[in-house]
Amino acid sequence: MTMVPAIGRELSNPPSDGISNLRFSNSSDHLLVSSWDKSVRLYDANADLLRGEFKHGGAVLDCCFHDDSSGFSVCADYKVRRIDFNAGKEDVLGTHDKPVRCVEYSYAAGQVITGSWDKTIKCWDPRGASGMERTQIGTYQQPERVNSLSLVGNRLVVATAGRHVNIYDLRNMSQPEQRRESSLKYQTRCVRCYPNGSGYALSSVEGRVSMEFFDLSEAAQAKKYAFKCHRKSEDGRDIVYPVNAIAFHPIYGTFASGGCDGFVNIWDGNNKKRLYQYSKYPTSIAALSFSRDGGLLAIASSYTFEEGDKPHEPDTIFVRSVNEIEVKPKPKVSRLVCGIVATVVAQRRL
Amino acid sequence: MASIQKDPILQVETTCGSLLYELQIIWDEVGETETDRDKMLLELERECLEVYRRKVDQANRCRAQLRQAIADAEAELATICSAMGERPVHIRQSDQSVGSLKQELGTILPELEEMQKRKIERRNQFVVVLEEIDSIANDIKGQGEHVHSKPLIDETDLSMRKLEELHCQLQALQKEKSDRVEMIRNHLCTLYSHCSVLGMDFNEVVGQVNPTLSDPEGPRSLSDHTIEKLGAAVQKLREVKIQRMQRLQDLATTMLELWNLMDTPIEEQQEYQHITCNIAASEHEITEANSLSEEFIKYVEAEVVRLDAVKTSKMKELVLKKRSELEDICRKTHLLPVSDSAIDQTIAAIESGIVDATMVLEHLEQHISKIKEEALSRKEILERVEKWLSACDEESWLEEYNRDDNRYNAGRGAHLTLKRAEKARNLVNKLPGMVEALASKTIVWEQEKGIEFLYDGIRLLSMLEEYNLLRQEREEEHRRQRDQKKLQGQLIAEQEALYGSKPSPSKPLGGKKAPRMSTGGATNRRLSLGAGMHQTPKPNKKADHRQNDGALSNGRRGLDIAGLPTRKQSMNPSELLQSPLVRKPFSPIPTTVVASKANIATTTQQHLKHNAVNEMSSFATPVKNNNNNNILRNLEEEKMMTMMMQTPKNVAAMIPVPSTPATISVPMHTAPTPFTTNARSMSMSEKPEVLEYSFEERRLAFMLQSECGLV
Repeated sequence: MTMVPAIGRELSNPPSDGISNLRFSNSSDHLLVSSWDKSVRLYDANADLLRGEFKHGGAVLDCCFHDDSSGFSVCADYKVRRIDFNAGKEDVLGTHDKPVRCVEYSYAAGQVITGSWDKTIKCWDPRGASGMERTQIGTYQQPERVNSLSLVGNRLVVATAGRHVNIYDLRNMSQPEQRRESSLKYQTRCVRCYPNGSGYALSSVEGRVSMEFFDLSEAAQAKKYAFKCHRKSEDGRDIVYPVNAIAFHPIYGTFASGGCDGFVNIWDGNNKKRLYQYSKYPTSIAALSFSRDGGLLAIASSYTFEEGDKPHEPDTIFVRSVNEIEVKPKPKVSRLVCGIVATVVAQRRL
Repeated sequence: MASIQKDPILQVETTCGSLLYELQIIWDEVGETETDRDKMLLELERECLEVYRRKVDQANRCRAQLRQAIADAEAELATICSAMGERPVHIRQSDQSVGSLKQELGTILPELEEMQKRKIERRNQFVVVLEEIDSIANDIKGQGEHVHSKPLIDETDLSMRKLEELHCQLQALQKEKSDRVEMIRNHLCTLYSHCSVLGMDFNEVVGQVNPTLSDPEGPRSLSDHTIEKLGAAVQKLREVKIQRMQRLQDLATTMLELWNLMDTPIEEQQEYQHITCNIAASEHEITEANSLSEEFIKYVEAEVVRLDAVKTSKMKELVLKKRSELEDICRKTHLLPVSDSAIDQTIAAIESGIVDATMVLEHLEQHISKIKEEALSRKEILERVEKWLSACDEESWLEEYNRDDNRYNAGRGAHLTLKRAEKARNLVNKLPGMVEALASKTIVWEQEKGIEFLYDGIRLLSMLEEYNLLRQEREEEHRRQRDQKKLQGQLIAEQEALYGSKPSPSKPLGGKKAPRMSTGGATNRRLSLGAGMHQTPKPNKKADHRQNDGALSNGRRGLDIAGLPTRKQSMNPSELLQSPLVRKPFSPIPTTVVASKANIATTTQQHLKHNAVNEMSSFATPVKNNNNNNILRNLEEEKMMTMMMQTPKNVAAMIPVPSTPATISVPMHTAPTPFTTNARSMSMSEKPEVLEYSFEERRLAFMLQSECGLV
């Protein structure tokens, strides 16, 4: 265990190829990591322990927890799997017609939702008998290849190629509740819902994040905005990096973004402020995840193939403990009050 | 008159008369009128009449009551009698009139009383019997507690017949009860014996059936339900027993077989003798306590497992022995041994228990016998081959020897070599004939068998042919050498004539120096055949392997095949790319996919172009980007580009650009307007025609491609 206080503790036994995603469990500090090396790994982030490794037939493009003893993974071999960590057993929930890009588990609906490059999303019932198609609940056509999914409550946001965004109600999947086009002009990289369920953040390959709201009323839509990030000015030129990952803090609702520039930034979306920037990581940030209480932030520093096949830094996972000051929003008003109090106190001392 | 006087009525009459007289005197005295007197007398008369009537009525009523009482008594008597099933005694008498009513009543009442007494007695008898019946029935029905309700007695039938009936019933019930008790006892006995055999706790088993049964003192439940459950328990235990017995017998059989197989010493067997002696026993014969208990079976099982393990290891040893035997035979007869990996696999399979060792053994046995048979048929030819090879050895030795110009220098053992050379020459002279004969024999053999005669995996005929070729070559060389020598001799003679000197004898310059293997006795015959044969066996062998050895392991075959695409790839990458395997996940692949383009490019010029594309797709290096574009674009364009690069628009490059960036993307970049939102939207409007792929999709395409390249 090497202690690098500036960027966090590096986990031993990292994947041997690119990290496609990582996620903290909802009930412990276990970390599930999917990788291009065709495997899913389960770490105990606190103990820096590799608790399990599960090999698949193709690059694993996404994974998520079911409960502490099982999870789901989706794979470039078109299969959706459920992994039982304790038994080390996996069963195939079903298959798509193309590689499966992303997976989410809805605790509200008890369903697994997968998005694939076959231009569909599918819902699965993980409790179903492991008979191949018996677990499948439905297939829903998308306008383009699905690149990112996010869930909050009963809302499902699907971001596809061609900058389409479809918003569904899990209780009525027959057609999207809303069909939108991304507010950003370039390819969508990642979409994540706000923990309070009022909207979602969407990032693009062109160093920009847009903040959107589900409510279609004018008042709500007036609040939406987009901001630039993960850019570098060099000789008066802007170098723009893709924003690969967004992760919301479960308690404060602030969020972290990770880009191909190797930086992780913490933002306060409500006050339109950047709260913190962590020091640079060795290579692109491929994925981010806060632990259930927001006390830990897992960072996958792993080359995301933005410049094709080229030599790159080794793939690593960092786990850093998050200081409250880094993620707590600083409302302007309270700061004003603080300021006043401070000046009063200062005056009295004088 | 006297009789009248004595008669009280007469007296009353006199008293009445005197009173009447007195009354007349009084009336006379009073002077009562005649009418009044008549009236008074009439009243008197009427009052008297009334008194009479009352008395008569009373008497009449009394009589009626008496009659009623008699009738009642008679009726009661009759009912009791009928209930008791006896003929009424009294009824007969009532036919004859016997005295007065009171007498009649007097006779009937004691009779009735007695009857009533008897009835009560009888009734009590009934109660006793019925109660007993009830209690037994209760026992049998199996209601936990006795409900002491008064038994219902049919008062109208208390006859002896009925009583007897009830007695019968009671007896039947008592019998049934005793039967049941006996049955339960029997069941319990069986159960106990089963339990003891199976090593189970009897009390627990019985307690599960019915708690009262495990109590030795208290009353036991005799109900149908209990018996049924008990029966079921017995049946169940019996089944368990049979099952375990069969299991034990199976184990014992296996054990016996294993003993038999491995010739286990008697002392070792003794310990398990009591198990194996039960091998043919039927269920009821096994009575020994704990002889079928769980632990006992486990103990036996452990022994069987141990024996089995011993057997497996022995089997493996045997297999290995057989295998080495097989290899030995193969080696001796110069047959190709069965490929190692196949045998290793079978051994691994035995270890993992997939394949039965006996089967493998059998297989090996068969194989050995087959090979032995083959060896027998090959023997004759092999002997000849042996001879031929030794002749060849000699020949090559001779060759070597002949080449040695100092061969005639006298030294130690020179005479021996001379002798050997002489012999060798003889042998060599016979060689062609030998080869001929061998070839014809082999051809006959091959025709007979319909297969090629292989010698260490090489066709003997081809060996012979090759040898012949080699020989011819050698002869030719000899001839040439001879000519050369002649020439040299001439030259030397000439030189001698000129300079008068003589060069020392030296080894010929042109001849290759062959390794002197033959002198030391060849270890590998094939090698000893000469340098010329060295390279030929290998490809041949490989081909033979493929054709003949169908059992070649997959892994090896895979490797063989794997060799091909690698070669192919190095030759023509574009061909590889077109293979549907690579493209499948993203078909149709537009020509714009940057990664694949890289491999299609074959000429250097295209390569350069491609480089440019690749760089363009990278964000972090826009400056470099420029440099590369420099190659393709003129200065003017470059200026434009630099301008664009300053804007986020350079991201457009990130999204795959049409296949020939030099031509198509240029208008896009050289949009006349500087960076405005308009310009951006323009570039956007052009994009939809181009499929944009995410990093992951490109990565997967690359991965599949490189994987294909490797396989």
